[in-house]
Amino acid sequence: MFALRDLARRAALCTFLAGSALLGGCASVYLDGTTKEVQASQFKKPASPAPVQLLFEFQTKGVANAQATAMLRDRVVDQVKASGLFSEVGSNAVPSGALLTITLNNVPLTDNAFSKGFVTGLTFGLAGSQVSDGYVCTANYHATRDSATVIKQARHAIHTTVGAAATPGNATKMSNGKEAAYLMTQQVVSNVLNDLSQDANFK
Amino acid sequence: MNTLSLSLVRRLALVAMLAAMTGCVTTTMPAPAPSAANAEKLRSAKFVPAQVGTFKLAAGKPADMDTSMTFRASTVKPVNGSYAGQLRDEIAAELNAAGLLDPKSKSVIEGQLTDSMADTGMSVGKARLAAKIQVKRDGQTVFDKEIVADSTWESSFVGAVAIPAARNQYTALYKTLVGKLFDDVDFKRAMAPQ
Repeated sequence: MFALRDLARRAALCTFLAGSALLGGCASVYLDGTTKEVQASQFKKPASPAPVQLLFEFQTKGVANAQATAMLRDRVVDQVKASGLFSEVGSNAVPSGALLTITLNNVPLTDNAFSKGFVTGLTFGLAGSQVSDGYVCTANYHATRDSATVIKQARHAIHTTVGAAATPGNATKMSNGKEAAYLMTQQVVSNVLNDLSQDANFK
Repeated sequence: MNTLSLSLVRRLALVAMLAAMTGCVTTTMPAPAPSAANAEKLRSAKFVPAQVGTFKLAAGKPADMDTSMTFRASTVKPVNGSYAGQLRDEIAAELNAAGLLDPKSKSVIEGQLTDSMADTGMSVGKARLAAKIQVKRDGQTVFDKEIVADSTWESSFVGAVAIPAARNQYTALYKTLVGKLFDDVDFKRAMAPQ
């Protein structure tokens, strides 16, 4: 009977989440306010920007998510192009071997295994009717084929509430999930690009 | 029937209804694109440029293994109608992005799809992708091995949760298999400059 009770609980939770997704009108999406966008004008621009190969990948719990990657790739490429950190940005290898990879890993903050590292700093009001998604953005940069990797990381979160749940603190309400995803990506990528630009090994 | 059982029946009925609402959808896999992880592997591998030859379903395998993958009532189709072709194009995309795709190269990579399956499960999902890959240089086979990629994940009763997760896990296996190929010691030897 214990297993049955557990099954019922899981089914109810799944139903709640699925219902929330399907009946979008009941769900509100909030972008966490902790990670702010860093404007490209604040980046430390190299004296002679060089071409770079850029590869972007969205992951779900560390597994490549091709659908989400396709949805966000062009925006990330445009953002890196507009950063002023590189003279050319493309998906093919460049003669110098310069390579920038940006991965954005979606981790559920309701899962203890993945929430480590998010508990401090980000809004974290996990009431029963709030689900939070964490996003870990990692930029790996090689200036040349044989140079050491410069690694920068930033985190962000999107909160979803259902029904009359309290508004998450320090968060901005978005019109829908897509808008939240786009803005979250723009903000978190701006942070890793800024950190990369300030690194002494960024050339 | 006690209270808990009645409650369970009602909840499961709702789950079934929600699952049905998300079913019967056919989608196409995203076009192959280079990945960060495999680009890193190719940087350190020092391969010779290669061309990518024919990829087809292995002999004796059911024809629908190469054309259709069903996750409960949802179907995912390969970009060009063949999962073997999808694997070929994934390898070509990675090599091209690394500057290692050369249609005139004497090294040719070929393959036969030997397995393609996904099980959304009710609590645990499973997927598997396998292919026999050959490298031929000047017509001589210098590499011939089956490469396998598989994964298991926490699945769900609810189609709205289980189907996207399974679709994502299955799609990701293509990049995983290509990464395992690039990591294979014998493949590295076959693709090394002579």
